[in-house]
Amino acid sequence: MSPFFQAEKSTSETDMPIPTSISNRLEINIEQMKELFSFKVNKDFSYRSFVIHFNKKQATIFYYSSIVNGDKINETILKPLLEEDGRDLSNIITIENLLVLNDYKQIIKHINSGKAVLFVDGDSSVYSLDVADFQHRVITKAENESVIKGPQDAFTESLNVNLSLIRKQMHDRQLISEGMQVGVRSKSEINLLYVKDLVNEEILNNVKKRIEDISVDSIRNVELLEQYLEERPYSIVPTILYTERPDKATAYLEDGFIVILMDTSSACLIVPVTFWSFFHSPEDNYLRYLYGNFSRMIRLLCFYLTTMISATYVAISNFHSEMIPPDLLLAITASREYVPFPLIFEVLIMEIAFEIIREAGIRIPNPLGPTIGIVGALILGQAAVEANIISPIIVIIAALSGLSSFAISDININFTVRLTKFIFILAAGLFGMLALIGVFLLWFMYLASIKSFGVSFFAPLSPHFKSANDTFFRKAIKKQIFRPGQIKPQDMTKRPKDSN
Amino acid sequence: MRKKNIFLICIFIMVFPSGCNDRQELEQQSYVVAIGVDKAEEEDKYDFTYQIANPEVGSSSSQGGTNEPPSEIVTITGNDVLTATYTANAFVSKKITLDHTKVIIVSEELARDENFLRVLQAAARTPQIRRGVELIVSKEKAREFIQLNKPVTETRPHKYFLSILNRVTRSGLSPNSELHRFFQITEGDADLFLSTYASAIPSEEGEGNEDEYLAGQIPKLGGSPTQFMGAAVFKEGIMIDTLNGHETRLVNILDPTMDIENFITTFKDPIEPKFRVSIGYSQDKDPNISITYNKDKPSLIEVTVDFKAEVIAIPSLVDYSQNPDYQKRLINQIISELEEQTNKLIEKSQKEYGTDPFYWSLFVRKHFLDVKAYEKADWNKVIYPNAKIKVRYNLQNLEFGKMLNDTSLEEVRD
Repeated sequence: MSPFFQAEKSTSETDMPIPTSISNRLEINIEQMKELFSFKVNKDFSYRSFVIHFNKKQATIFYYSSIVNGDKINETILKPLLEEDGRDLSNIITIENLLVLNDYKQIIKHINSGKAVLFVDGDSSVYSLDVADFQHRVITKAENESVIKGPQDAFTESLNVNLSLIRKQMHDRQLISEGMQVGVRSKSEINLLYVKDLVNEEILNNVKKRIEDISVDSIRNVELLEQYLEERPYSIVPTILYTERPDKATAYLEDGFIVILMDTSSACLIVPVTFWSFFHSPEDNYLRYLYGNFSRMIRLLCFYLTTMISATYVAISNFHSEMIPPDLLLAITASREYVPFPLIFEVLIMEIAFEIIREAGIRIPNPLGPTIGIVGALILGQAAVEANIISPIIVIIAALSGLSSFAISDININFTVRLTKFIFILAAGLFGMLALIGVFLLWFMYLASIKSFGVSFFAPLSPHFKSANDTFFRKAIKKQIFRPGQIKPQDMTKRPKDSN
Repeated sequence: MRKKNIFLICIFIMVFPSGCNDRQELEQQSYVVAIGVDKAEEEDKYDFTYQIANPEVGSSSSQGGTNEPPSEIVTITGNDVLTATYTANAFVSKKITLDHTKVIIVSEELARDENFLRVLQAAARTPQIRRGVELIVSKEKAREFIQLNKPVTETRPHKYFLSILNRVTRSGLSPNSELHRFFQITEGDADLFLSTYASAIPSEEGEGNEDEYLAGQIPKLGGSPTQFMGAAVFKEGIMIDTLNGHETRLVNILDPTMDIENFITTFKDPIEPKFRVSIGYSQDKDPNISITYNKDKPSLIEVTVDFKAEVIAIPSLVDYSQNPDYQKRLINQIISELEEQTNKLIEKSQKEYGTDPFYWSLFVRKHFLDVKAYEKADWNKVIYPNAKIKVRYNLQNLEFGKMLNDTSLEEVRD
């Protein structure tokens, strides 16, 4: 019992209040800094004292050794200060980013974000030197949203790298990367990217307000931020687009959308979105007109198959057997002769088995990966059929609906579709086609009622807006003149004004 | 809030089981493919014969072969087609479903009975029997027909009926005789309805050319005993006569509502009359029918049939392909033979039947303001029997297959 109390006591002792002002005596400042950052226990909090060459004053530099570039400190700060002559500090230090700080709150923030802080004896202002070097992955291929034709790079867990990937594709002085901070305990940097003379101010302010309104200790990454930003956290439908592709993000920026980046995620958020944002793939526009639209058509079919085919099968065979052609009917009947379960149960078994394989496939450690394929195929296919637990036709149905769901690459809408599938199957098992169509209508009405940052989910198709009509199918690239009207961009046309 | 939840749960509890009421698992049903209707010995009772498909035969390869027969045939006496199915459940283990019935077979005996319409009416009323079911008249009892019908390769009955009916109507040997059409024409009370005529018992072999037979008369060896050939003629819901295959073909040619594709038939060789020339007849367009309605004097019906012909075989080896003169004579022969046979059929229908089997009443209706006026003018008693009918066959195009010259007999046998 007592250790708990003791522990509590000891933490409260070290939890000292932040000093209000910076002293101009270096020793006091050093003591305060050491206490603020628990110098004795905090292994990677480092400092170094030295005498500045040009004015012979004592100076101390503080930093977290784990998040700064040691060579840079050496080359651009210590060496010039120890050796060079000059008029003042900013002329001697060769680092590109130097700021003067005036209170401890700022100092804490800067040290936490990887800066080195320089105290000089007899000076109550403090210099913050940007030597941050957070470790991150290198840029790799987009793995979750792969394309055949198109750029292959993906965002990585570094804001600067991600920004660079976007700026590389969009050379526009109006492309703004506005920083915001979120979190009380751990302050995280959020970057809002938008094109200043395109973006709809109202939506931008709405996004900013929602970010400002977040009051929480910390938000680590955009995946969590997404859930703080959205309007309906319990909804089956996502209202924020999540992508790891810089080219996709840039395409949306060009249309006047807002992209949200954070330092810790290898993806970005795009707002506002419509159903079409989830339905489209960047490859649709990279492929030639016909090819791109063909792939859209297949994807649309996949949407239909994955939500509807199991449910339709249940509805028709349980309630409307007269609709099945006699050959198929007799084949299904024959294969079901030995199956002990009702048909809807059979379908649910297979659908759930497929979901299990899918979930396990994601969680399984990489070296075991190939095993899951074999086991999965065995369970789904031969074995279950031979054991008369399910009939062979169900394997086709489940495989078709499962396979189709992979064509919907966006992870959010993918979950929507997979959950919808189960709703539809249950509805179809209740009253057949009647219930299936009823539930579909309700589902569709709900979808149409959804709004993402004030934009209807099926716009610009319904409600209609002037746009490039990039909905089910896209126009030829030269005919895509307008930006999506549903977000009301400041400039509607994608052509220079004088060419009209 | 809690009350609302409890209310919702109650609704769901009520809703869920009620769905099960309608739910019917596939394997708990027996699918009737063919229904046979005969007169029972008792007055106003009928023998219903159900041919029930066995789903395990031939439909799934993985389930292994069974020794069960492809179908189960049961006959039961009853009042109407649906009540009898429930009686039949005393010995058929699953619910008998008529959704997938392909044909209704009626014995000629019953078809010629004036009560025929009564029993068929019940079949039309039940939603289970589709209006697209084909009506077949069998020469023998329908029960015998179904029992004797043992297709050799298409052992599954539904497949057999589907393919054979498709084939006989396409080649024009039998008419398209959907139940819907039966009621349409019978209730229209103007034209004659033609039904497929079939028999599973070979009768005396008939004589004549390739299509001048009735079902059962075709001289043949081997194969299934069942024959579909010709048509049963229904006037006002009662069968009055039969047409042989050739006459049925002519009706199919002249009736724009029938979808005849093409067939091969023979015509007399105009140069060497003891041989016959085989001609592939094909018709792309519906015949053009124009009726000039005269109130006081006989109306004029003009029919133009555009067709194409392809010479298939010339056993006489006469050089029709190269000699324009011979060609002309061949064309004249084809047209005159067709016209002669057609006129004979029309005369028969005008004098013997009193109305037409071609469904031409459709084309006179536009001359009347309303149904009453049309019914008063009386197509089947006044207009048609007295009408002047001109049928003109118009050969658009004569082809000679892929060979121009036939083998020269003299050169071969020198």
